[in-house]
Amino acid sequence: MSAQIAVLALAHLVVLLTLPFVVVGVIQRTKALWAGRKSPPLFQLAFDAARLLRKRPVYSEVTTYLFRVGPYVVLVTAVVSGMIVPILGARAALGFPFDFVWFAYVWGLGRVALMLGALDTGSAFEGMGASREATFSAILEPALFLVGGAACLITHERSFDAVLALRATTVTGGAGAGVWAGSVVALFILVQVESARLPVDDPTTHLELTMVHEVMILDHSGPELAALQVGSAIKLTVGLSLVAAFLNPLTGRAGPPLAAAANVALCLLLAVAIGTVESLVARWRMRAVPQYIVVALIAAGVALLATTWQIGGAG
Amino acid sequence: MILLLVSGASLVLGAILALALRGNVARATAALASQAVASAATLAAVVPLLRAGGGELVESWRWPYPIERIAVRVDALSAFFLAWSLPMTLLGTVYAVGYLRPYFDRGRNGGPHFALLNMTSLAFLVVYSVQNAMVFLLGWEIAAVAAWLLVIWDYRNQKIRFAGFNYLVSTHLGLFVLVAAFMLLHAQTDSMDFQTFRRVLEKPSRMRAAVFLLLGASFALKSAFFPLHTWLPRAHSAAPAHVSALMSGVIHKAGLFAFLRFTLLLGRPEAWMGWCVLGFGALSAFFGVLYTSSQRDLKRLLGYSSTENVGIAAMGFGVGYLGMAWHAPSLVVLGFAGGILHLFNHALFKCLLFYAAGAVYRATHTIDIERLGGLLRKMPRTAAMFLIGGLAISALPPLNGFVGEYLIYSGLLSGAGASPTENVVLVVIAALLAFVGAVSALSIVRAFGVTFLGAPRDASVHAAVDPPPSMLWPMYLHAAGVVIVGLFPSLGVAATRGATSLFRIADPSVAQLDVAAVLAPVTWAARVLAATLVVVGGLGWLAGRGARRHVTWGCGYTAPNVRMQYTASSFSSPFALLFVGFLPQLRRAKLPEQVFPQQNGHLATHHVDAVERRMFEVLGQGEEMATKASDKISEEPRVAFAAGLVAIVIIFGLLVGVGR
Repeated sequence: MSAQIAVLALAHLVVLLTLPFVVVGVIQRTKALWAGRKSPPLFQLAFDAARLLRKRPVYSEVTTYLFRVGPYVVLVTAVVSGMIVPILGARAALGFPFDFVWFAYVWGLGRVALMLGALDTGSAFEGMGASREATFSAILEPALFLVGGAACLITHERSFDAVLALRATTVTGGAGAGVWAGSVVALFILVQVESARLPVDDPTTHLELTMVHEVMILDHSGPELAALQVGSAIKLTVGLSLVAAFLNPLTGRAGPPLAAAANVALCLLLAVAIGTVESLVARWRMRAVPQYIVVALIAAGVALLATTWQIGGAG
Repeated sequence: MILLLVSGASLVLGAILALALRGNVARATAALASQAVASAATLAAVVPLLRAGGGELVESWRWPYPIERIAVRVDALSAFFLAWSLPMTLLGTVYAVGYLRPYFDRGRNGGPHFALLNMTSLAFLVVYSVQNAMVFLLGWEIAAVAAWLLVIWDYRNQKIRFAGFNYLVSTHLGLFVLVAAFMLLHAQTDSMDFQTFRRVLEKPSRMRAAVFLLLGASFALKSAFFPLHTWLPRAHSAAPAHVSALMSGVIHKAGLFAFLRFTLLLGRPEAWMGWCVLGFGALSAFFGVLYTSSQRDLKRLLGYSSTENVGIAAMGFGVGYLGMAWHAPSLVVLGFAGGILHLFNHALFKCLLFYAAGAVYRATHTIDIERLGGLLRKMPRTAAMFLIGGLAISALPPLNGFVGEYLIYSGLLSGAGASPTENVVLVVIAALLAFVGAVSALSIVRAFGVTFLGAPRDASVHAAVDPPPSMLWPMYLHAAGVVIVGLFPSLGVAATRGATSLFRIADPSVAQLDVAAVLAPVTWAARVLAATLVVVGGLGWLAGRGARRHVTWGCGYTAPNVRMQYTASSFSSPFALLFVGFLPQLRRAKLPEQVFPQQNGHLATHHVDAVERRMFEVLGQGEEMATKASDKISEEPRVAFAAGLVAIVIIFGLLVGVGR
């Protein structure tokens, strides 16, 4: 039994550390396809990271140890929190009760490290990015708890397993569909905001006044920049895998290897969706972002309210 | 019991010596030595009681009228509060020696201050152990007056006198309500003993509801719950740092203690009481954290964060109440364990933060964060301590703040409610707690980032250095507590186990939840996270050894200066704008005019307390109305009018009494 868990955890870790490179490559390829450009290689992020690792970093004169350590905190929190999310479409090897609470707070730790690193440079631009990140994440934070709470209430599970249970048991009626649809919408928006994708934030722009995430890493270079880029790619992949677990039709109906393959494939499909959105939509004004986040909150609220209907109807 | 008496006698003796001796060194020594003896004696007495089923110390003495009998009973709850209150006060006194040094050097007499710190410890001994309402009120009053006198240490400053007076008035409003509750209970039981109060409080009745609300209001005011918090930010920013720390971390926990004490007498509470506690807790947490997001004054910010954190603890108690009402044992255990653990954690990190803020004040003579910046390189130790406290207060793993909140989340999200609708409400409150956590991270990133990172903003704030060891060591000890409870929550659980085990549904058929088992997975997760952070962070540190140094990238602009850094107000502005209805902003601006401005412009924004503003408005209107009304009556009959009013009140009271 414990050997099985070890194998599962190892497979989980391998996927967690390799899939992000593919996901970023797929998004780039999708965007290139829409724009009619020739796309960079699928593993461009890996090449970039390898190149950056060989470089000597440059630190600003005003920075301190927080600036130096921050990127690694981001990387570690992304990996450690990813270990409990069911990215393989089956129970994560290391899940525990209310692991989504822990997950949210570990992401919070990574965010705090990133924001402190940004403020450490004393740059007005980076301060602006940190301020926006803090604001958006604060109003977005309840969404994950509403979705998690709704899934737990309807399935009587207490962790990310609830997602799987929601897929495995055929939740009857429009109410079950309400929980499911609300959760998917809320989580997709959550991924877009948290991993700084369009239409919330533009990962490619160089106009600092409009950026959130990218502006906070302006001063990072060399290995630290690599850690930040890989870290945010992992966060993106973890988020997309969670949405994929909600969508996965094979959960509980096929063997674990097949379900895992379906989940990874769905995650890549979602990457295509992200790339498509980025190609077709322009970045919104900053003022519109809180409204977009409120959409996520409303969707999560709908998911939660749907549970009363479900349980009330059954009982 | 003899140990506790020794402890009390030692404190009184220390206070007398602090007043009588000549020279501040001797006074400080007397206070420190007496508090050390008292802490050691108290710990020796109470530590055996901390275990579940560790027994209790009971004693009672006959006493002249009107007290008649002083019953003293130290159960696990009292033992838990005593076990950390006295040592933390001792640490605060150590800190005071360093913090007040500049005043002593100018010849100020520190005797009364040290004596008052001793009296505070004595008040803890009384409040946490007596069972007699009169003696309880005495201890309550010693704590309140001592805190007031401690706050106005710098009494020559009018603002500080006002803050102290504001505190004194507020705390006595709470006292009136408390006295009213005790009088109701006395009228029913003809006794001042807590155990006889149980007779009234056990059975649901309208009287019980009234007493519950009165007691709740009084204790909420003591612990500065929203909307009864207005005195707190003023008092905390006016007081010396160690007094703010002790008030916020230790003294005001007496309110929560008293609430728990009466919860034990309450028998089985009704569900509406649980919703009341949960709702007030959530409200306090929400508004407290909103106000932290936009303060300029570091200690004021920390003061509001106390309102937030007692709110979080009360949310735990609310969950426990609901568990009792619904007969859901797991909710009872999770709620009370989470709440009690959180208030202990709060005492650990809040004192740490106030001490660090005090060190900043000592070094720079300001706590206006807009004028600070770049202190980390000048005060590395203080900065590290503030950072640890800040991460803990944002409930980030692997530190201690997360542990208590995780228990409260486990209760809120467990779906153990009586109906689906109630479960949904609990989940919404959990989401609110998540919001509170995220905003608290925002506030602390803002406070730490602007104060300690970047470059100094104001040239008139002079170079600073880390404080002397007497101020650093209390910080180190608190920080060690924060880290240890974070990585080994079982220690925190062990300390609270006895107190938590009092709040149980007495039904042997239900299996009791083991809190340590609930926390086991999070404990391991926190350790793995901490270990990975140390290893990867260390490797990354090595990778950055040969780095070059250069100026911060100015996005092409080559002449940036320190005034162009992001300020604290701009940092919180996008957030504050979203909640502008709750966060009124005062704005004084003189913007530059014309294309080539001839004069410098300026802009100052300030976030005021909406509740306090409204309160003063209402009071002002009321005063105006009263003045107008009394002006209509000419001089002589005015006295008669007042006498008439008093007579009416007495007659009315008699009628009500006779009618019963």
